[in-house]
Amino acid sequence: MASRKESGSGPTTVMASTGGTLDSPVKQIQIEGLVVLKIIKHYQEEGQGSEVVQGVLLGLVVDDRLEITNCFPFPQHTEDDADFDEVQYQMEMMRSLRHVNIDHLHVGWYQSTYYGSFVSRALLDSQFSYQHAIEESVVLIYDPIKTAQGSLSLKAYRLTPKLMEICKEKDFTPEGLKKANIGFEHMFEEVPIVIRNSHLINALMWDLEDKSTVADKHELLNLSSSNHLEKSLQLLMDRVDDMSQEIVKYNTYSRNLSKQQQQKHQYLQRRQQENAQRQSRGEPPLPEEDITKMFKPPQPPPRMDTLLIAGQINNYCQNVKEFTSQNLGKLFMAEALQEHN
Amino acid sequence: MSRFFATGSDSESEESSSADEITPKAPGTTFKQSLLLSDDEEDTKRVVRSAKDKRFEELTNLIKTIRNAMKIRDMAKCLEEFEQLCRAFLKSKNIVDKEGVPPFYIRLLADLEDYLNQLWEDKEGKKKMNKNNAKALSTLRQKIRKYNRDYETEIAAYKENPQESADEEEEKEPGDSGSSSDSDDEGGDEGVTAKSFLKKKPEPTPEASKFLKTAKGSGDESSSSEDDDDEDWSSDSVHSGSESSDEGDEKTSSLAVVFLKKTLDTEKSEKRLGKKRKPKKKERLEEEAEEEGGEEVEGGWEKVKGGAPLVKEKPKMFAKGTEINIPVVVKKLNEILQARGKKGTDRAAQIELLHALAAIANENNLGQGIMVKIKFNIIASLYDYNPNLAAFMKPDMWKKCLDCIDELLDILFDNNNIFIGENIAEDSESLAISDQPFRVRGCILTLVERMDEEFTKIMQNTDPHSQEYVDNLKDEGRVCGIIDRLLDYLETKGSTEEICRIYLRRIMHTYYKFDYKAHRRSLGLQGETKSEQDQEESEGEDSAVIMDRLCKFIYAKDRTDRIRTCAILCHIYHHALHSRWYQARDLMLMSHLQDNIQHADPPVQILYNRTMVQLGICAFRQGMIKDAHNALLDIQSSGRAKELLGQGLLMRNMQERNAEQEKIEKRRQVPFHMHINLELLECVYLVSAMLLEIPYMAAHEFDARRRMISKQFHHQLRVGERQPLLGPPESMREHVVAASKAMKMGDWRTCHSFIINEKMNSKVWDLFPETQRVREMLVRKIQEESLRTYLFTYSSVYDSISMETLSEMFELEIATVHSIISKMIINEELMASLDQPTQTVVMHRTEPTSLQNMALQLAEKLGSLVENNERVFDLKQGVYGGYFNRDQKGGYQQNKGGYQRGGYRNQNQSNY
Repeated sequence: MASRKESGSGPTTVMASTGGTLDSPVKQIQIEGLVVLKIIKHYQEEGQGSEVVQGVLLGLVVDDRLEITNCFPFPQHTEDDADFDEVQYQMEMMRSLRHVNIDHLHVGWYQSTYYGSFVSRALLDSQFSYQHAIEESVVLIYDPIKTAQGSLSLKAYRLTPKLMEICKEKDFTPEGLKKANIGFEHMFEEVPIVIRNSHLINALMWDLEDKSTVADKHELLNLSSSNHLEKSLQLLMDRVDDMSQEIVKYNTYSRNLSKQQQQKHQYLQRRQQENAQRQSRGEPPLPEEDITKMFKPPQPPPRMDTLLIAGQINNYCQNVKEFTSQNLGKLFMAEALQEHN
Repeated sequence: MSRFFATGSDSESEESSSADEITPKAPGTTFKQSLLLSDDEEDTKRVVRSAKDKRFEELTNLIKTIRNAMKIRDMAKCLEEFEQLCRAFLKSKNIVDKEGVPPFYIRLLADLEDYLNQLWEDKEGKKKMNKNNAKALSTLRQKIRKYNRDYETEIAAYKENPQESADEEEEKEPGDSGSSSDSDDEGGDEGVTAKSFLKKKPEPTPEASKFLKTAKGSGDESSSSEDDDDEDWSSDSVHSGSESSDEGDEKTSSLAVVFLKKTLDTEKSEKRLGKKRKPKKKERLEEEAEEEGGEEVEGGWEKVKGGAPLVKEKPKMFAKGTEINIPVVVKKLNEILQARGKKGTDRAAQIELLHALAAIANENNLGQGIMVKIKFNIIASLYDYNPNLAAFMKPDMWKKCLDCIDELLDILFDNNNIFIGENIAEDSESLAISDQPFRVRGCILTLVERMDEEFTKIMQNTDPHSQEYVDNLKDEGRVCGIIDRLLDYLETKGSTEEICRIYLRRIMHTYYKFDYKAHRRSLGLQGETKSEQDQEESEGEDSAVIMDRLCKFIYAKDRTDRIRTCAILCHIYHHALHSRWYQARDLMLMSHLQDNIQHADPPVQILYNRTMVQLGICAFRQGMIKDAHNALLDIQSSGRAKELLGQGLLMRNMQERNAEQEKIEKRRQVPFHMHINLELLECVYLVSAMLLEIPYMAAHEFDARRRMISKQFHHQLRVGERQPLLGPPESMREHVVAASKAMKMGDWRTCHSFIINEKMNSKVWDLFPETQRVREMLVRKIQEESLRTYLFTYSSVYDSISMETLSEMFELEIATVHSIISKMIINEELMASLDQPTQTVVMHRTEPTSLQNMALQLAEKLGSLVENNERVFDLKQGVYGGYFNRDQKGGYQQNKGGYQRGGYRNQNQSNY
């Protein structure tokens, strides 16, 4: 309820801007209240637990502002209709919407998330393909759990140009990433969101609020915290484990690499010595052999996963931080209230 | 060929040909020969054939085949054989270099070439040939032309004067073999004979076959000393040869081939064995003559036959009128024994002979000494009856063997003045009836041990679910009886070593049997209602007493480690089987076998595994769950219990084990009646694992570094969880899994009903001797462990809990509940205190909450993450990078133990 009310209370900046220095074509996103409600409804109806719902955003770009005016969900996948054609479905859907005079331009997609665990390879890949095809597209991440706790959580992300470059080249080796000089902080950029309703709707909302008989229930003030924290910690721990594994992998790789370098070096030296000896004896030098063939460099582990994991960990940490600071505030407030009574 | 068959085939030919093969089933034909072995040739030495002879024999065989092929114009075969011949010739190059090219080889080359040319010119014949043959012919012709170029001079010389070259060779051969003086003549004779036989083409090449003969024949043959026989033989064959050559060349040549073949074969088999014996020529002659008849009819082209029979005696042992005395009998005995182990020996017949000899000896009252000796040999040849180790005795043989051993023991018991021993030399035996005691060579202990092994083998090879197995098992009593008798005998006569060995045999037959009468006696049920048989059975010593006596003797006296080890293991097994847990455990610990058993041979290891398993089951019966689990862990965790206990082979692919290994493994199997029930074993293991693991899991729910007590149990749990639809449990494992789940919730009644019910009773629990007691113990254990699990799982829900309630819930006395909770508190497993006046447990709530637990885990994980990360840096910077200060790192690692967050931060700040 609270979320709905909030979305109805006029144009509200949900997210603080991460800084105005975005060099992307989209600097701000304006979402219709309708879209927000549709996304929430979609999750409410189809998403359960850790299941994720996805859909297509429709809208258009005005100057450097992306206006999202409508959306429609992807149908849930089931095992038995594997031959379902998604592209076909999308085209069909967009054509139908066009017939009823709704914006039919594809401007991105949305996805629900479970405790903020959305930084994944799948998201990266699909966002890349979106952004590759439609430059202004964004991904909207909707966090139903946070929303249920009292504050609507809707975030828009885009891949940074740097990451786009890397993905285009598909070079995820340690060297490639090093050259690109990319860290997990610079993978995604968040675009500020503004939710906007038409004046008519605003008027209706004001009208409704007066008449509303729904008791004021403030999930916002819920003091229990351990459940949410536990879940977050659990997820965080899993990621940390993954990270450890990745590091170990990388470690072995670099050890192998250096070992091989040494061997190669030794081999070359020996070769040189031998050649020098031969020269002094007047024999022809040994034929050059392909060193790269003799010493095949070990397969470097792809580092993109590590980056993603780091990004995810970062995300979790932010979540936990946010959550705990809010809760601490609430606890202090509760304490004060108790004392007052 | 067909002509041969056409000449007629009478039954005789069949008979004699079957006699050629070693067939123990046809003693009738073997006895047909009228002559007996006698001793006058005993000492003739046989020259060991040289490599040369062997090689040349190979060559001649090939040449023979080629000639045969030539005769039937089978060019393809001819070509094939010729290639083989070339190869064989290359192989024997060494010898050829030394000796020069053997003339028979040259002969073949020359003949073959002539023959081919002839064929080649015969245009009509060529047309008739099938395609294959025609092709082979042209190839062969080219080949031989090329090949013969190397031997041009020899071939030319040969063609010029075939006779001469052959003679030359003749002279050489006997010289090589360096034997009797008349071998020259003999060789010549034979050569002529063979020559006449082997003529196979219109244009005579008379010397051909001579070489065949001389190459191998004369070398060996000539070594014999009796000229008359040889002379006889050859003249005879000359005669028949000349006759037949008139009739038809082909026929005779075939005959000759067979003939030659025969002698060679017999010689070969004789020679291989390296024995000094040789049957009289006359006898051989007759035999051969007979075979000739048969062979002639059958056609001579068949390939090498098995070694000719050597021992062809009649049951009649001694010539009439011979005075039968000890030396004669011994001689006879030796004579029979000489044939032992030879290829052609009819083993069944040999046994018959020995029996007959025993009867004769008995008839003539030659005394017990000789009887003992003959008996020894009969038993030995019974054991020899089976050619390989894997085969087992046939029932009748086995019966005979048992009877024989019994009789032998009878004699030994009746006559105190017989000394037997392995160390008595053959010539120092005294078998004659005199005042002196008999001295006989032989070892009764070895025979009995072998008998015991044979018994095991029979049991291994019988289907354990058949009536036959039961019947065979009935012999176990007899085997034990024999061992007992021998034990008595050796106790008075044998050395300590022998006593140890026979004791071990006795132990091996005792340790796995549950002593029901002692069990009954200990229960105090000995009494009135029993039948007479039972009464009889319950007399005599307890097996425990016997085991104790025998084992202690071995511990004290044995000097070989193996017997002692086996004895200890059997002793432990026996203790464990009879629920004497402490004795069994102490003995196991004292023996230190656990440390060095891996150096023992596989059978001992199997025995060790059996013992450990029995020990574990014993501990379980006594309620020592932990000990039971530990004892069974090794066997069960591998998942190869069946194999480790020697109770069956696991299906594995052939890469891991070839047929040979499989045979060896099969021989190690324990007979079925000694098996330990594997399901019982697994059930005992799983139930003990459940009783240990479930409370442990409950206690360490949040421990990140929780180790598993039993992997196999966890595996079963996981299998249970994976089931999409959970029906009521069927198998033993499912029962245990279901019970574990119930126990997890602290629901001991359900757990109890899963572990002890009719199905499980019939499958497992009724197999124990003291079923009721075991079940009671189990119920109690389930109650106790469920209580512990309950407290671990739900203590966070309670502020305080009355012990009375607990005792009601788990149907335990308050005192027991009190003691369990006290133990938990003392071990710091449960954060609580006991309130004595109100009989309640007050929880302290000092345990970390799950969130805190989680945070701790996270901290730990982060620690390892940082450490891993540091390693990456280490590598990047190298040792001399100086980025890291070693001291600092040490300090960090010290901090790690306590998870001091401050420590981390300080470190990190200083590091980065």
